[in-house]
Amino acid sequence: MRRLILLLLLLSAAGCTTPPDAEESDDTLNLAEAMGGDTLGYARAVGPQPFDFPTDFGAHPTFKTEWWYFTGNLWSGDKRRFGYEFTVFRSALRPPDSLARHSEWSTNQLYMGHFSLADPETGTFHAHERFSRGAAGLAGAASPPFRVWLEDWSMETVAADPSSLFPLQLQVEADGVGIDLMLDATNPIVLQGERGWDPKGDGNGNASYYFSFTRIETKGTITLPSGRFNVEGSSWKDHEWSTSALGKDEVGWDWFALQLDDGREIMFYQLRREDGSQSPFTGGTLVEADGSYRHITRNEVKLQVDGTWESPVSGAIYPSGWTLSLPGEDLELHVTPVMQNQELNVSVRYFEGAVDIEGTSNGQPIAGVGYVELTGYDGSTL
Amino acid sequence: MALSILGVALGVAVVVGIDLANSSARTAFRLSTETVTGRATHAIVPGGGLLQDDTYRQLRTETGFRNAAPVLEGYTRAGAETGPVLQILGIDPLAEEPFRSYTGGPQGNLDLGAFMGPSLTGLISRSTADRLGIQSGASLALYREGKTSTIVILDVMDPEPGFSEASLTNLLIVDIATAQSLLNAPGQLSRIDLILNEDGRAAQLEKLDRVLPSGARIEPASTRSSTLDQMTQAFSLNLTAMSLLAMVVGMFLIYNTMTFSVVQRRSLIGRLRGIGVTAREISGLILAEAAVVGLIGSTIGMVSGIFLGHVLVDLVTRSINDLYFTVRIQELNLSWLGLGKGLLVGMGATVLAAFAPAREATRAIPSTVLRRSEDETRIETHGGLLRGIGFFLALLGALILWMSGSSIALSYVGILFIILAAALWIPSFANIGSRALRPLMGRFFGIVGRMAASGIHHSLSRSAVAIAALTVAVAATSGVGIMVDSFRTTVDTWLRYSLEADIYVSPPGMVFRRNDATIDTQVERQIRAMDGVAETYSVRTARVQIEGRMTDMVVTEPRNRELEPGRYKKRSSYDHREAMVSRDVIMVSEPYAFRYNTDVGDSLQVMTASGPRTFEVGAIYYDYASDLGVVQMARSRYETHFTDRYVSGLAIYAADGVDIDELIDNLKSATADGQGLLIRSNRSLRQASLDVFDQTFTVTAVLRLLTILVAFIGVLTALMALQLERARELSVLRANGMTPGQVQRMVTTQTGLMGLLSGLLSVPLGLLLAWLLIFVINQRSFGWTLQFDVDLMVLFQAVLLAVIAALLAGWIPGRSMSRMNATEALRFE
Repeated sequence: MRRLILLLLLLSAAGCTTPPDAEESDDTLNLAEAMGGDTLGYARAVGPQPFDFPTDFGAHPTFKTEWWYFTGNLWSGDKRRFGYEFTVFRSALRPPDSLARHSEWSTNQLYMGHFSLADPETGTFHAHERFSRGAAGLAGAASPPFRVWLEDWSMETVAADPSSLFPLQLQVEADGVGIDLMLDATNPIVLQGERGWDPKGDGNGNASYYFSFTRIETKGTITLPSGRFNVEGSSWKDHEWSTSALGKDEVGWDWFALQLDDGREIMFYQLRREDGSQSPFTGGTLVEADGSYRHITRNEVKLQVDGTWESPVSGAIYPSGWTLSLPGEDLELHVTPVMQNQELNVSVRYFEGAVDIEGTSNGQPIAGVGYVELTGYDGSTL
Repeated sequence: MALSILGVALGVAVVVGIDLANSSARTAFRLSTETVTGRATHAIVPGGGLLQDDTYRQLRTETGFRNAAPVLEGYTRAGAETGPVLQILGIDPLAEEPFRSYTGGPQGNLDLGAFMGPSLTGLISRSTADRLGIQSGASLALYREGKTSTIVILDVMDPEPGFSEASLTNLLIVDIATAQSLLNAPGQLSRIDLILNEDGRAAQLEKLDRVLPSGARIEPASTRSSTLDQMTQAFSLNLTAMSLLAMVVGMFLIYNTMTFSVVQRRSLIGRLRGIGVTAREISGLILAEAAVVGLIGSTIGMVSGIFLGHVLVDLVTRSINDLYFTVRIQELNLSWLGLGKGLLVGMGATVLAAFAPAREATRAIPSTVLRRSEDETRIETHGGLLRGIGFFLALLGALILWMSGSSIALSYVGILFIILAAALWIPSFANIGSRALRPLMGRFFGIVGRMAASGIHHSLSRSAVAIAALTVAVAATSGVGIMVDSFRTTVDTWLRYSLEADIYVSPPGMVFRRNDATIDTQVERQIRAMDGVAETYSVRTARVQIEGRMTDMVVTEPRNRELEPGRYKKRSSYDHREAMVSRDVIMVSEPYAFRYNTDVGDSLQVMTASGPRTFEVGAIYYDYASDLGVVQMARSRYETHFTDRYVSGLAIYAADGVDIDELIDNLKSATADGQGLLIRSNRSLRQASLDVFDQTFTVTAVLRLLTILVAFIGVLTALMALQLERARELSVLRANGMTPGQVQRMVTTQTGLMGLLSGLLSVPLGLLLAWLLIFVINQRSFGWTLQFDVDLMVLFQAVLLAVIAALLAGWIPGRSMSRMNATEALRFE
């Protein structure tokens, strides 16, 4: 569910051929407008279907939107903390057609890349965005072998067996800030929702196909203008594609990807309505240490906001710190951003931040790290 | 006074008109270049032909260089074959932001999906849409190289801040995909625009070097417009020179009119002197008056110059389109500089020309103001001095011409000195002429004729100037006329022997003399295999990099025929035609050899698809199609070294006994379904070429006419001054019994005689000018060898023109003189 909004917003953002500069733009995009996009002619996620791996690691261009999402928490040798996000979004600008392509450049596929790096030690948050057409070799997504790229930003398998997704390499660089990371999953794949089919709203086909790798061992280097750091840590990967839209009264969401030090992971999102209430399409997944997982409903989770942070750039007031509890599991987690300002001021403004977790499980202390995504707080109707 | 103003106005109008036309063409061109260059500082340009778009992909995905935007440019016509020219600018909207913002900024609402999608879509400016009568959402037919495609106008654009609406005139912005389709250039780009930062430029260049394909190079964005500027430099310089010629003639005229106004008020000046006004004050008064005349005349001139500029800019643009490159913006660009120049020239010339009359007026001693003879004696005695100065000026002019090397501007200065020298000699020649003609005139026209002839001689200070002005004007027009005729004859002769085949096939292109449109390969095969076609030879026009310069290259197939040996200016000792096929030998055209100082046996580095290769120059051939210089390569060598396999034209020899017109009809009907092709007989292609030639000289013709007009007004004012002065003399004649008719006849005969003298004197001067234009100016501007071909008709016309102009100019003063009341005129005596 989580990042669907971004892509849908992109559909309307696609109107501006050259999206606004991250620093300069104050344009806000209207969610409802973005969601109003015509879905006619696109493939729909009408029900659970068996995935065909490794082909399904690649692109599904007949669906309107798709993304490959990596987030992770990393430490250098001297325990300096970093958080990163690297996402490639794909968006079909028009329904698929059978018209003859008279040029390699002709396409209906638009790619957008987001890269952010949180550096809490210096309090710096780097965010970059870029766009390209999914044609002429400039950007694309394929599998096998798995490769998603947008110009020189890439996520690409380096496995000897080309059908294998892992190990894979992430390479991103922008304005002297970059990551070059090797990723190897320690958990098997997690199919979200119902066998990877995740309903988003009422109505047939208002759903996405969604799977994750919830714990991925990560090693590599981070480059900053101040120097280069060898880092290690863990990442999280999501891959999701869909066509359909959110409900009209939904204004944003809070999404949590939490990795606990007892080996468990939790994915949970809550959709927020205009009146502040929680949408029924709220839920998540609990992954056990052995890799088995189960769906968790909204009724199993209690989410309480403990603090707020006002963005000096957008003026948006974001929740900053939560208590998330699963009473059924006797689990209570205090989730705190590693730094407050992890807002991406790109064509779609949102918060995507590394978090620390402390809490108790069955009365025992528990800790962890994770990533939180917050949308719809910047004062627009979003 | 009205005449003085008219004279100044005409002179200024011509100068301003030409200047505006020239600068408008340049500004329009620069504007269109800047519009499409945007904020790019550099560009990766191909060594020849186009760039493979893979270079761009490498740049983005491998080197991570992001300040780069792909561009594919070309031209098309809107609507039909004769529709307005549109420049196609193919871009990637997602790479555009740092470069250009036509596809919309953050607030834009371009439908990217439709823009980049498989259907052909594009954007045009609001005013262009209005002019074409279409709205956004409408379809627009595009005609290019004989094919029609349809594009949907997605939206209309407004210019970027700081750019005028005109900058977007006839600009069609499309996606790279659409451009590749419209321009039939799959996988290709014209260039990759770059923004290189000042700091760390070396590192950036090193990064770029890694993906630079062979032959391609990185050049500053300014190079493009300056290269194209240089192409037309000689062309516009010559136009400017022509306009200055009109100004020189105009100066005579101003001199005349100012003299006229002084003469007219001779008695007033005398009286003023009598009551104690100083000479200095009077000359100041005259100069001030000249300044006023200059100001009014120049103002009127500037306004009329703007109108003239409107006509001329059209002609100049058309010539540039025919000869050099496609210009999409065509509008008069009012530059304050151009208008200021006109004002300066007009005022300057007027005041300068008024100096002599002002001095003359101040010299008027109250008691002798009514006496004229002093002047005449002076000019008689000064005749030697004038001739001396003339001789000196002629020497100086010749020296300048000799020393100026290749400078066209200096060459014109030299010619100006020679004209001035001739003008100074004219009184002496006129004197001799009129004396010599006196008995002859006496025989034909009796006493009136004899008196008319001696009248010229007696009033030399006035008539000489009139004769000089008329002579210079007529000589200038006949000189230019002879030059154009010689040029045309040379081109015609050249066309006759260089167009040997029976039929020529080519797709309609944008620039007549540099047509690089291509014929469909299938159509080409079809034509080659037609019944009645005996032999076909292909021609390909391509742009390649030779010695680091983009050069037009003509690729030809060797013919199994003897070719006219006269087509070569210089040949090597070996058979260069055979050598061009067997090894790396090329030919260069005469202007190429001239421009780049190239000789037979020299080596030229040609950037081929596989990198630079050295070719030997096997021959220099005559070519009048391009003053930019062309290189000729054999098809087989071209196919060895280049990947391009297209042809731009076919020369067809019909089989024996086949009717050419019938074959043309057959070819036309056989190819009717596909690409629209121009299929022309030898004769009609030659005619079309000559038509273009004539068109390019239309500006020249307009200027010639204006020069004559200026001269005519000059003669009119000079004669009026002259006859005004003679009022008393004529009154005496009237008092002595001469009838008004006789007076009229005498005056008219006298002016006719002056015209005849001017006409006759203009013949040698015109020939000299023609010779200088052909062998100095043309040589130094373009490097062409032209035959010096004198059409006697041109000379005869010149004499006739002078006589008619003089007769007309003499008729008005003659009439008023004959009606003058003799007693009234004599009263002052």
